[in-house]
Amino acid sequence: MTETSEPIDVTRAVEVIGASMVFNDGTPARVAALNDVDLVVETGDFVSLIGPSGCGKSTLLRLIANLLDPTAGDVRVNGKPAAQARLDQDYGMAFQKSGLFEWRTAAKNIELPLELKGWDKRLRAERVGEMLDLVKLPDRGSNMPWELSGGQQQRIAIARALASHPPLLLMDEPFGALDEMTREHMQSELLQICAATHTTVVFVTHSIPEAVYLSDRVVVMSAGPGRITDTIDVELGGTRNEDTREKDAFYGKITEVREALRGSEMTGEARGIEDR
Amino acid sequence: MRVGLAERALRRTALLLAALGLAAVAWEVYKAIGPEQGGDIFGWRIIPKTNDRVMPHVWEMFAEFGRPAIGSGDQQVWSVLLGYSWFTLRMAFAGLALGAAIGVGLAVLMARLRIVERGLLPYLVISQTIPLIALAPQVTVIRGTLGLPQWTSAATLAAFLSFFPITVSTLRGLQSVPKASLELMDSYAAGWWTTLVKVRFPSAVPYMIPGFKLAATASVIGVIVTEITLGGLRGVGFATIDYSQKVTSQPASVYAAVFAAAALGLIMFGLVVLSESFVMRKRSRETT
Repeated sequence: MTETSEPIDVTRAVEVIGASMVFNDGTPARVAALNDVDLVVETGDFVSLIGPSGCGKSTLLRLIANLLDPTAGDVRVNGKPAAQARLDQDYGMAFQKSGLFEWRTAAKNIELPLELKGWDKRLRAERVGEMLDLVKLPDRGSNMPWELSGGQQQRIAIARALASHPPLLLMDEPFGALDEMTREHMQSELLQICAATHTTVVFVTHSIPEAVYLSDRVVVMSAGPGRITDTIDVELGGTRNEDTREKDAFYGKITEVREALRGSEMTGEARGIEDR
Repeated sequence: MRVGLAERALRRTALLLAALGLAAVAWEVYKAIGPEQGGDIFGWRIIPKTNDRVMPHVWEMFAEFGRPAIGSGDQQVWSVLLGYSWFTLRMAFAGLALGAAIGVGLAVLMARLRIVERGLLPYLVISQTIPLIALAPQVTVIRGTLGLPQWTSAATLAAFLSFFPITVSTLRGLQSVPKASLELMDSYAAGWWTTLVKVRFPSAVPYMIPGFKLAATASVIGVIVTEITLGGLRGVGFATIDYSQKVTSQPASVYAAVFAAAALGLIMFGLVVLSESFVMRKRSRETT
């Protein structure tokens, strides 16, 4: 169960084909969260989903994670149906609130997915050590979550998401609750971690600079009903660092994304988009 | 953390003693100035008499512990009450354990199946309006049919009182897990049972503790009421009735028995507080 033996085509990390999601269908509270969405994420890509509140970016992420089933359309992860990918734990997940369990130490939190996967105890300890090193908190393993800062908690959450070597990382506004300085720092860390582990990332955010700084592609969405209105390639080079944030090309891309969002505003109101 | 804990325990004990002292002072002040034969308000006889039979001096109550107990040979009151208390405490503990098993079990069942919660919870609420005295005879009959020892009826009735706060608080706790935690477990394809053990129970603990505190004292009350209602169980409840029937010869004995009952409640409560500080030792204090 841990390893899939048959060879499968894994050229595409994520493939969403004509996916729609309707909540409370047939009731007055009916919401069309997503309407006929197509999305392809190639292996190794970093893709951000950005858009106003209610554009369905979190819903789309949950469809990929198979936490929700689409009312229409198809979702494939690593070439298999999303449900199978979830069973095989082909992805790791991180949320806005770190979601660390307060009764477990940092190390025990990272260990959780390995525990559930039935890893041997010694292998688990070894892997937790590696992950703590990866997120640069080697001596914080025995701390309880409340003893860590917000940024440290989020690092532990990322370590937990990546512990079982998933090829895909799904993140839902993971840095939304952090202060600006910590946030920029964490963005650079995330890029390094993803480069080191060759992880594909789908990243939901409502910050334009964050999306531009992190992504190979920014997917712009709009609300009512939620759909993809634009996809912007961000060619800022493979290695990005703090200097990237000051380049003209960076600002150019920010303007491009902002205009794409404004274009989508004609139909859906752009609420909650951060310009910072 | 350890120091903080000891400090808090000390402060709480000091406050408790201060409150007891105040109550004793109030008692003595009323005894000194209140009417000897009591009094009426709008024709109701509600102002208590202050004579030594109804309101003995506080020091008399304490001195009572050292006097020979009526009907127990030359054994002193404290030693008789200690025996009774041990008897009651064991039944109360058994009642709490049984109540916890039933209470947590029902909560899990209701958390698992919404339909069970809808159907069962109203009846559980109604069950708590049934007076224990009305249930005691039936429980005795069933116990007799099953051939169980007599103390089990007291434990059962104690459980009848104690399961309810445990069920309600545990259910609330099991249902208060953050959505993100459940989504995370979903993303691991973890089953319901795994999620219950790894996430729902640990996050329910802070909710369960107040329920267990209520249940611990309710359990003592359950046993005492059973002792008073049914014959043959010689615990603190029996002592209260027995001594109040002999009130003319040794009026302060009743109060000694009441003190023993109160002490039992405190001991059971203390057991829960102790387990709380053990279970919650590593958690942040702000989260509770």
